[in-house]
Amino acid sequence: MTALRKSRIHEVILGAALLAAIGLPAAAAEPRRNVIVLYAYGRLVPANTEADRELRKAVASSTDRPVTVFDEFLDAPVFGGPSYHRAFAAYLREKYGSRKPGVLVAFGKEALEFFLDTRPDLFPGVPIVHGAVVGSALRSRLPLPEDVFGVPVEYDFERTVDQALRWHPASRRLVLVTGASAWDREWEAQVRKVAARFQARVSIEFLSALSAAELTRRLGELGGDAVVFSPGYFQDGAGNASVPREAAEAIARASSAPAYAPFETFLGTGFVGGYMPNFETMGRQAGQIVRVLLNGVAPATLRLPESTPNTLNVDWRQVTRWGIAKSSIPKDAIVHFRAATFLEQHPVMLATVAAVILLQATLIGGLMFQRRRRHEAERAVAKQRFELAHASRLAVAGELTASIAHEINQPLGAILSNADAADLILDLGGDRREEVRAILSDIRRDDLRASEVVRRLRTLLAKHPLESLPFELNEVANEVEFALQPEARRRGITLEVHPAGSPATIVGDRVHVQQLLINLLVNAMDAVADVPDERRVVEVFVEAEVGKVEITVRDHGRGIAPEHLPKLFDSFFTTKSKGMGLGLSIARTIVQAHGGRITAENGPGEGAAFHVFLPIAGQAEIPLPEPG
Amino acid sequence: MTGPPLIHVVDDDESLRTALLRLLSAAGFEAKGYSSTGDFLMNLPPDRSGCVLLDVRMPGPSGLDLQTALERRGTALPVVFLTGHADVRSSVRAMKAGAVDFLTKPVKKDVLLDALGRALAVDAAQRAAREEAALLRTRFAALTPRERKVFDRIVAGKLNKQIAGELGIAERTVKAERAQVMVKLGVGSAAELGQLAERLRRLSGG
Repeated sequence: MTALRKSRIHEVILGAALLAAIGLPAAAAEPRRNVIVLYAYGRLVPANTEADRELRKAVASSTDRPVTVFDEFLDAPVFGGPSYHRAFAAYLREKYGSRKPGVLVAFGKEALEFFLDTRPDLFPGVPIVHGAVVGSALRSRLPLPEDVFGVPVEYDFERTVDQALRWHPASRRLVLVTGASAWDREWEAQVRKVAARFQARVSIEFLSALSAAELTRRLGELGGDAVVFSPGYFQDGAGNASVPREAAEAIARASSAPAYAPFETFLGTGFVGGYMPNFETMGRQAGQIVRVLLNGVAPATLRLPESTPNTLNVDWRQVTRWGIAKSSIPKDAIVHFRAATFLEQHPVMLATVAAVILLQATLIGGLMFQRRRRHEAERAVAKQRFELAHASRLAVAGELTASIAHEINQPLGAILSNADAADLILDLGGDRREEVRAILSDIRRDDLRASEVVRRLRTLLAKHPLESLPFELNEVANEVEFALQPEARRRGITLEVHPAGSPATIVGDRVHVQQLLINLLVNAMDAVADVPDERRVVEVFVEAEVGKVEITVRDHGRGIAPEHLPKLFDSFFTTKSKGMGLGLSIARTIVQAHGGRITAENGPGEGAAFHVFLPIAGQAEIPLPEPG
Repeated sequence: MTGPPLIHVVDDDESLRTALLRLLSAAGFEAKGYSSTGDFLMNLPPDRSGCVLLDVRMPGPSGLDLQTALERRGTALPVVFLTGHADVRSSVRAMKAGAVDFLTKPVKKDVLLDALGRALAVDAAQRAAREEAALLRTRFAALTPRERKVFDRIVAGKLNKQIAGELGIAERTVKAERAQVMVKLGVGSAAELGQLAERLRRLSGG
């Protein structure tokens, strides 16, 4: 008996010692640097994601002082009530049993209330930071415990209404839309208080707790002398649930008068805007308080602003729609959705289209006089076609933007990191001249590399007079490979160029032949865009024969539909949704100008092949445009 | 053991790679460069804390594939992507696959160091979680077969008397076994035992 007890005591002691030894790493995990953020609403509510991003930035986790931020979502107002809150509390207790938080963050009124109610049991003594909680909600819970901190939100809708009335000076009626839930009633009470101050300027109408259908009808009948203000609603008069942003969409859609709101998240629904507190700011403020608390600063020293500032936000499309004078928008207003003009968005395409239309019109004009002035007309046609080639080069450059950006950003990235490294090295002191010299030399090299990319791009885009000089076709093939290889890589395509074994010198215009190859290659790359990886291969062969050279561009795509073959080289014939139908017609123009011919066929197994035959040292049988 | 964290820089552009390695070393990090994802996978040290700074567009297996490969090996190092141009599709894919951040070249020093700092923090947290899991498994493995039977029945909510009946042993022995189980698993109450059982169940993928 005694022996048994002794051995058991031994085991217990041994076990305890063992646990103490292996328990150490767990104890070193700094449990006080966990932060639980509880959001009142759902995970995908835009306000939450905006706030969360800034909060994490402001908390400033670092390797030496890591902070882990955990997010939880209460999903109010869809879920609520005492039993749900009990279950949620139990879930948090279980989940964070081994990850005790150092600070709790409550985002939104419901989240704060939940923590205030459950904290004594759940996380006793852990300070609470709140964000996005309205001042009035805080005042209703006074006195708050001493270790609850945060910046209250005050919605400044008096200024919003005032601004709206100034933007729409003809308005005689202020229409206020609210709903039927408890939340909606609270807002209605506040809105009523503020609206009373505008009685002298406009007549006040309330559309409160109407059914959605009735509300839609009434809003539709408002007409030109009304201005709408609404915080949205969670429930309409018929008892149908909604969320304020959805309600806002419906209100904006139905309303025949401009609508204003207190919430940033309504932007984009069709509301004009208003003075709104910014959710990113709220997240940042909460994060800053968390950081201070985690760093052990005495909470009494926190000097918090009285409330989150409101800024004027406007939706530019609505400004245009309601004819608000653009000069009356204050400089510090945040303007959303100001779209670039069509010209700003698609300069290359517009230039191309304009060039094409213009040139084609001239071309037709030229052809009308064909009989009488055949010679001049042909000359004009040739000239115009080469200008078209320039336009098409611009279009190709547009397609290649992504790889060009990559090619330029590569050396730029190296330059920046090298310069930063040199800065740090100089800060370290000591004689490290050699290192810095090596860095400077690398910076010079990368600078040249970037300018080389720009130079190549300029060659591709420059407009230049037609030349007729001897040049080596193999070299051109290599240049084109150099220019397109990054794009091929980006698209996951293998590009293989096989130059001829012997020199292949032809007479003509080097840049235009380059263009010809680029057109054929971009075409081939498009053809293998949606085939399996092993077929994503584009090959170019240059073969020198007696008296002529042959260039073959072969792809392993789906081939050319037989019915398309006869029209392939016609202008504006395209099977692509984005294509202009010019690539192949320009290719043919260039080939003919060099006294050659171009053919297309489907490959024996799969894919298509384009063959270009050019005479060696051939006399270019083109009516060259006269200089000037 | 794991040693100080090592940052793996995978970029096929030698010039950029050298610049990044210089910068990281001047900023006090230990860093190593690789010219391809394959090179990186071949030379990956077995258990070293750290993170990966990865060019999205690499010849051979792409950056995104690498992320998957790392996870399959169980050495899930957090990945920060670096790209020559940010196209929305690949950045969304990377972030969905669990990338810590998606940076565009040229990248500012502070932005880069901040992202890497976060990646290292993620790694440290994941490592801590794995260690905790290993610790739990070790403790659990120390139970004798009978203690394990008792454990299963305690967490199933059975009373000592029922357990004694089911296993055909004295109730006093059950009590003793129960005390042993709690000591070996390092818990102080039946409730904690229940939590631990839940954690074990999750770890074993149940």
